[in-house]
Amino acid sequence: MKPAIEFNGFSYAYRQDKLALNNIQVSIPKGSFTVITGPSGAGKTTLCLAIAGAVPQYFGGSVAGNVQVNQTDTRNISMHDLALHVGSVLQDYESQLVAMTVEEEIAFGLENMGMAEHDIQERVRRVLQRVGLEGLEQREVSSLSGGQKQRLAIAGVLVLEPEIIVLDEPTSALDPQGAVQIYELLHTLNSQGVTVVVVEHDLSQVLSYAQQVLVIHEGKLLYCGTLSEVLPCMIDYPELQTAMPILWQVKLQLEEALERKFADWRSVEDAKQDIVRFIMQNKGVCRSA
Amino acid sequence: MRRYAPLTKLILTIIISIWAILFDSPAILAGVAGLQLLLLAITRVSTTVYKGILGLVMFALMLAVMQYLFGATISLALVTGLRMLNMTLIFIIMLASTRISDITAALVKQCRIPSDYAFMFTAALRFIPDFLEESKAVREAQSCRGYSSRGNAFKRMKSYLTVVEPLVLRAVTKSETMAMSLELRGFGSQRQQASLAHVALHGRDYILISLTTLVTLALIINKLQPIGF
Repeated sequence: MKPAIEFNGFSYAYRQDKLALNNIQVSIPKGSFTVITGPSGAGKTTLCLAIAGAVPQYFGGSVAGNVQVNQTDTRNISMHDLALHVGSVLQDYESQLVAMTVEEEIAFGLENMGMAEHDIQERVRRVLQRVGLEGLEQREVSSLSGGQKQRLAIAGVLVLEPEIIVLDEPTSALDPQGAVQIYELLHTLNSQGVTVVVVEHDLSQVLSYAQQVLVIHEGKLLYCGTLSEVLPCMIDYPELQTAMPILWQVKLQLEEALERKFADWRSVEDAKQDIVRFIMQNKGVCRSA
Repeated sequence: MRRYAPLTKLILTIIISIWAILFDSPAILAGVAGLQLLLLAITRVSTTVYKGILGLVMFALMLAVMQYLFGATISLALVTGLRMLNMTLIFIIMLASTRISDITAALVKQCRIPSDYAFMFTAALRFIPDFLEESKAVREAQSCRGYSSRGNAFKRMKSYLTVVEPLVLRAVTKSETMAMSLELRGFGSQRQQASLAHVALHGRDYILISLTTLVTLALIINKLQPIGF
């Protein structure tokens, strides 16, 4: 499958003295659900901004290597044009909401693109349904809950129908239920073909969805792979252990104690089934002995 | 008022402000203010608007009292307070009866103001509730660290600095994020800006604009060559 995003030896420094990203070499496949994790200040946000073209176009700074989105170098395309392919939801998503009402907020990007009124209304209607905000068109943005504002921020970028959506810690300000709802929405979008890239500190939230995990540490790409490839390696780094899902901490400890490999635990249900299977197998062994 | 186009209301705001300057009789100015309150009642706005107006009336009263205390006549003090009230009342009526996006669209499409400047107006209004919420959050956080709004005015102003400082820093950070997100959403691109807002003028708009403009011209002429208004 062709990659949606490619980092080719990409290094970046906001100022001359310190590299925010150091020789990043990674490829994010089209239609994948990729999670970026790492300790605070590791360079996760910079990586997201590089995909959106804001690094280096908006921030300036020094660059080596390149980032390609759909085989186009992000430095050879304006941020406005790149926004048609990459939708970005920033960490402080509330600052991203600039209009007074829900409808105006969603229409904002389309108005900037100079789209005809009829098409704007049609797209706004469609995207409101997609993110579950139908019926709230005339509500004032300031009166929405945190989860609704997050959905609105997603709707604001989805309305441009980008193939890629990048979200920087989308659930950091949400309650657990709101976080689950946001990830379910992202999963639905992903199953509709949208490439999803998410920055997440708490990997337990994305266990069921993540297809690829990138671990960033001090600006470098430490690991890249599936959950089962990456999570066991993270245990070696104390600063990364907080991101480890409890379920996987238990799994890895059990594997070490029992000297046996379990399948990927993406949910408590998976873990339960795996453990029951193991117990049943052991009973069989005991009986035959 | 809601049926009138945003441009009509913008023009009316300017016209009433001119009237407030031209009239120097407290009775007439009070009459204009009364007329505006009637207009507001017909427009059916939320109770928060009335609360705001009550605050304005108090401020106008304070202004008049201050003028009087500093040596102005009662008439001049009343005129000053009423002028301020008239100018702000019409502005509130316009804001309460018009969607901000419609005002912005009228400024861009009909007044030919660059969309960047018109957007600044919308964005400023959009962030007022957020700013108030943040100010409350900062005040609460600082009270946990000993901030108190008690004492004399000087003491209160000094202690309020502990609230203002983080608030300003937050506002600057927010504005930086917002600027970047605007770029990411195509704002300021070379494409022709579209808008969902309907701002075209109708017959009733032309009638109201013509009538109020004629009255204003008559008032100006009367001011220059008094004929007894």
